[in-house]
Amino acid sequence: MSVPSQDNAVQGSRIGRIMIYAVLVVFVIYYLTPLYVMLANSLKPLDEITGGGMMDLPRAYTLEPWRQAWSQAQIGVEPTGLRPYFINSIQMVVPAVLISTALGALNGYVLTKWEFRGSNFIFGMLLLSCFIPFQIVLIPMARMLGLMGLAGTTGGLVLVHVIYGLGFTTLFFRNYYAAFPTELVRAAQIDGAGFFQIFWRILLPSSAPIAVVTIIWQFTNVWNDFLFGVSFADFDSIPMTVALNNLVNSSTGVKEYNVHFAGAILAALPTLIVYVVSGRYFVRGLMAGAVKG
Amino acid sequence: MAALSIENLIKNYGKTEVLKGIDIEIEDGGFLVLVGPSGCGKSTLLNCIAGLEDITSGQIRIGERDVAGLHPSKRDIAMVFQSYALYPNMTVEKNIAFGMEIRGIAKSERKKAIKNVAEMLQIEELLKRKPSQLSGGQRQRVAMGRALVRDPQVFLFDEPLSNLDAKLRVDMRTEIKRLHQRMGTTIVYVTHDQIEALTLATKIAVLKDGKLQQFGTPAQIYNDPVNMFVADFMGSPSMNLIPAKIEDDLVVLKGGDTNIHLPGPHYLAGYTDVVFGIRPEALTDPDGADRAGRIEIRPCAIDVVEPAGSDTFAVTTLGGHEATARLRADAMVDPGTTADLAFNLDKVVYFDPKSGERIRG
Repeated sequence: MSVPSQDNAVQGSRIGRIMIYAVLVVFVIYYLTPLYVMLANSLKPLDEITGGGMMDLPRAYTLEPWRQAWSQAQIGVEPTGLRPYFINSIQMVVPAVLISTALGALNGYVLTKWEFRGSNFIFGMLLLSCFIPFQIVLIPMARMLGLMGLAGTTGGLVLVHVIYGLGFTTLFFRNYYAAFPTELVRAAQIDGAGFFQIFWRILLPSSAPIAVVTIIWQFTNVWNDFLFGVSFADFDSIPMTVALNNLVNSSTGVKEYNVHFAGAILAALPTLIVYVVSGRYFVRGLMAGAVKG
Repeated sequence: MAALSIENLIKNYGKTEVLKGIDIEIEDGGFLVLVGPSGCGKSTLLNCIAGLEDITSGQIRIGERDVAGLHPSKRDIAMVFQSYALYPNMTVEKNIAFGMEIRGIAKSERKKAIKNVAEMLQIEELLKRKPSQLSGGQRQRVAMGRALVRDPQVFLFDEPLSNLDAKLRVDMRTEIKRLHQRMGTTIVYVTHDQIEALTLATKIAVLKDGKLQQFGTPAQIYNDPVNMFVADFMGSPSMNLIPAKIEDDLVVLKGGDTNIHLPGPHYLAGYTDVVFGIRPEALTDPDGADRAGRIEIRPCAIDVVEPAGSDTFAVTTLGGHEATARLRADAMVDPGTTADLAFNLDKVVYFDPKSGERIRG
């Protein structure tokens, strides 16, 4: 007599579980291998890499490649390392992220709580900017920046990133505020609060989840951007990504792979930190919008 | 003096007419209830009074002031919303104080006003909490507190009880009535619940499809409805509306086996078909009938008996339609039998079956 017992069910699920974990482990290895290679090689002297054994752990640990990449490598005319370009990137990313997020929040507020004739059309046009490939606007944008006297400046890059980010930040905030009860806005109106008072006192304090999502999104995009940086930046405004490219592609001398690896990690570090610090808010923010909206 | 008067108010959304010429006036200290089925325009009307929606044409006066074009905060009103609309990021205290803060009232004065209101509504121990930490009834109180603290000329309530459970709803209803009696401030109150309308109002405005159907005291609306819609909408269980024939001066309700003949009023002469309207409590067992009224007793077939504790409802068939009779709780009737029912003819109303309008003497 064969009666399916509960043991079988438990065992079946245990086998399934092992399979799932096996697949997950394979994926983890797949994704972590490049990071391992970068990290291991950035801590080796160059001759260990050129002598083969790129997958090996360092025999002699050294921080010299990191020091080189940060402050001594020859990137521009002077052997400055990546440091000045890191600062360039920070100077570009912080205002670009803050301005585009603030404008996106304001747009979302107006598009949901102060609807006007054609507001949907304007939202549609803003969304369209999310889908225009960067390459199309390069030449017109260069001309505009030239006319405005912003060519080659960090300010010009900030402007470009704000304009390109506006579509997404508006989309995020609009969808979030669409689920925000309009009765609250009406109550505040009766209480005598004006347009900006309602925005500042009622909506913004409830916007933390979506603000985090938007900031992470914008930070990552602007920091990682290469095309605008390489097209519009001048010597004193070159961002990190472009500098890294210059470092790796310098055609003179020996290829210092360990320095390149260290530089690449340095370039990726800020976005990594942002994710690790606020990643759970990111998920929470996306969920909040999804469940309520 | 009228606290609020509305004259020929018209509101269109594009080509759709939402309010089609509303005339209402409520005296100072009155309790006006706007009632009607969903989509009748009652909430739109309230929003127009509040200034949250622009009006297409007509006039709204609060006190002696024409408020058309005036910002909501300048109309001397306060509003309680269906969802309470408490600011989620502020404590109860800050919620109540927000309006005063915006108007730049001194902190000491604000504190005093909050204390008064909190005492009146018994929410003192909630002042430091956030709205998310309150129950539905507590939120309701805080929402009322936020309105009370403004001390306005007119209070506006937009279905304030519809988010509460049945028992709390009855409690809060009494509370609102008590508050109104104590403060004596004019209230405009929107609901789709006709019981709320009858219990709270000094004046009721029944709306349907953006038109005012009837405006009057609860007794007028209940006993003297102007048309079949009002008769059917107000009262629970609703009025029995039965098609009837006029033969000579008799009203004939064609039943299943036998017809019921009742003496009709003289003003029905000239009609052949009418709708005979009788409320369940005017159709009762002979012992429970109002002896002051003109009573006619007729045998009726009882289909269903529903004891409801304080009363017993019996469903019978009159004129081919189900009709509900309201009997005393201990009236002895059995389904499937025939019982004598008393018709109180003083309470019967007649309608024109084509237009649905009331036929009057």
